[in-house]
Amino acid sequence: MTPTLDITKDVCPMTFVKVKMALSKIPAGGKLAVLLAEGALKNVISSLKQEGHRVAEVHRKDASYLLVVERDGRVA
Amino acid sequence: MKPEDYAELKKGGMMRQREAGFFSVRLHVVGGRLSTDQVRAIQVAAECYGRGEVHLTARQGVEIPYVRAAYLSTIKDFLAPSGVGVGVCGPTVRTVTACQGCRVCPSGVIDAPELAEAVDREFYGKSAPHKFKVGISGCANNCLKAEENDIGIKGWVEPRWTRGPCSVCGICETVCPSKAVTVSAERGTVTVDPAGCIGCGDCIESCPSGAMEVGERGYRLYAGGKFGRIPFLGRRILGILRTPEEVVAAIRKVLEFYRAEGRQRERFGDTLHRTGFEALESHAAERTGEAT
Repeated sequence: MTPTLDITKDVCPMTFVKVKMALSKIPAGGKLAVLLAEGALKNVISSLKQEGHRVAEVHRKDASYLLVVERDGRVA
Repeated sequence: MKPEDYAELKKGGMMRQREAGFFSVRLHVVGGRLSTDQVRAIQVAAECYGRGEVHLTARQGVEIPYVRAAYLSTIKDFLAPSGVGVGVCGPTVRTVTACQGCRVCPSGVIDAPELAEAVDREFYGKSAPHKFKVGISGCANNCLKAEENDIGIKGWVEPRWTRGPCSVCGICETVCPSKAVTVSAERGTVTVDPAGCIGCGDCIESCPSGAMEVGERGYRLYAGGKFGRIPFLGRRILGILRTPEEVVAAIRKVLEFYRAEGRQRERFGDTLHRTGFEALESHAAERTGEAT
């Protein structure tokens, strides 16, 4: 089952720090679901893209978003 | 005082202090950037010729206060080898301010320091009816407050959407601060209203699939802003300019207009309020080839 990280209550830079930490525990190519508020979308997604990860799915959940992130397939 | 010190005073950049006989020496800084070698030279100059302090000015400049009149030409000669010149004052084109732009800042869409150097090279210290300030923000976040300058510039990025990779997730519409993006889930389309778009690039940064990409980068100009006693925000002029050369050409036209229409000691914004912004635009459009 895909682990879920809830960062809806966090603000920058903790949003990305938490995502980064959670992703470090995921094997390359594995998936992490991230639940986040609208305001964190830009910074979190742009950082993920920059680090080579992929946002595979986007779901809207009331006022929040659930992103399914696929970890960079290359070995870190 | 030696004759050469009087000569230095006349050139400007030596700010007379309240305390008789002392001057605050304004330095020529472009976009707030100094090399560490220059910082070291400024440090030594402030220790030898001032009182061991420097002042960071409101517009990214540096001044060395408490310099005696007798040292004005000496301090200038001391700083020259490190490439630090003396600044300007009076009715001239002043310090060009800039952020670090896309060289350093993740939000930056243009090379603001490079443009600042180009504008400085062309116009710094040149005469005008009154002080004339240019400020450059690397993106729509506008940290350098373009609208507070006689000419303000903002980096601009136009989004370009392609259907192929788009998952129609709607994030671009959610993050757009000016509500210029419209997503139609039924039709599977995304449209950007060019009139509403502020060129910030948030939709591009946030797009998970890469369907929203950088179309073109450019420069937006704002004219007639000032702060001081009676502040006024500059207004957007011309279309999106595409190259630093176009920006320099546009500023040249703007200064031509200001020199022709501006009264002595009248700030550019006040001139524009008399003449109307349209008069400036039609004058400047000749050079840049832009109509609106």
